[in-house]
Amino acid sequence: MAKTYDYLFKLLLIGDSGVGKTCILFRFSEDAFNTTFISTIGIDFKIRTIELDNKKIKLQIWDTAGQERFRTITTAYYRGAMGIMLVYDITQEKSFENIKNWIRNIEENASADVEKMLLGNKCELHDKRQVSKERGEQLAIEYGIKFMETSAKASINVEEAFLTLASDIKAKTEKRMEANNPPKGGHQLKTLDSRTKDSWLSRCSLL
Amino acid sequence: MTEEATISDQIADGKNKTNVRCQFCNSLMLKAREGSYSEQEIDVPLMVQKQDRTADNLNTEPLKHFWLVKDMLTFENIGFSHTVDGKKFLVCADCERGPVGYHELSTKHCYLALKRVVHTD
Repeated sequence: MAKTYDYLFKLLLIGDSGVGKTCILFRFSEDAFNTTFISTIGIDFKIRTIELDNKKIKLQIWDTAGQERFRTITTAYYRGAMGIMLVYDITQEKSFENIKNWIRNIEENASADVEKMLLGNKCELHDKRQVSKERGEQLAIEYGIKFMETSAKASINVEEAFLTLASDIKAKTEKRMEANNPPKGGHQLKTLDSRTKDSWLSRCSLL
Repeated sequence: MTEEATISDQIADGKNKTNVRCQFCNSLMLKAREGSYSEQEIDVPLMVQKQDRTADNLNTEPLKHFWLVKDMLTFENIGFSHTVDGKKFLVCADCERGPVGYHELSTKHCYLALKRVVHTD
């Protein structure tokens, strides 16, 4: 069967537990006597389809699924990952401090050219903020990666963050392809930022 | 939710005639003509479970009509649960409601239950 997409990117969400990577709200079990089957077993990964510059991109997004509690995120988990979202909680100083440890973990286990991005999540909780936006920006500059503050709960910047990461991976992939296989004719001009505005990746969960 | 009586209306040349979407949030799961109609009797856990159930006393219902998707990347948007007995359950990628079907680890095939989704472009 013919492939129906142009690129497949495997992305990971990494950070301390409780930073809202999978902010599981019991959204549909308001009835206290019922619990949803899915909220009990949890979600492993998702497939999302986006379009960037008329290219169809499949994103396979994985969550650490609580492994981070035991600090057992190893090479197996990072295998094949092309992009990593490093997530901290702006209301938890410790989760921000631990980003350095996560970056070290990535350097030890993931492929060297994996694209990274830093996210300060829960930015809707102004009153409880412990980490300023400037400190997030500063850390991102230090590591030479992009930064955004997000709110999975209020759907702020989540979709933008994934589109940005995907777009950077795409650019890197195409650059590599072009280097391996230089175009014979003239360069084709590409439209910038022709992103589609689907409202996926909204809701409460970053995944 | 797609009723049993209308199932044959959804099939054209053994494929799904229209797009397949989440019945709760309308998220696009599968594009038209990407799934093959497949019949089999499978017990699938209900979307809402009674609180007093135990692990081996899961509330399920037998489902018979499925869209078979052989490559998971054919889906537009879909979520996969953690593995339970060689299966991952399929959920809506947006509202996370499910199961809307299952993924069989041994064959890598996905089965999306017609009864748990809506068919509309």
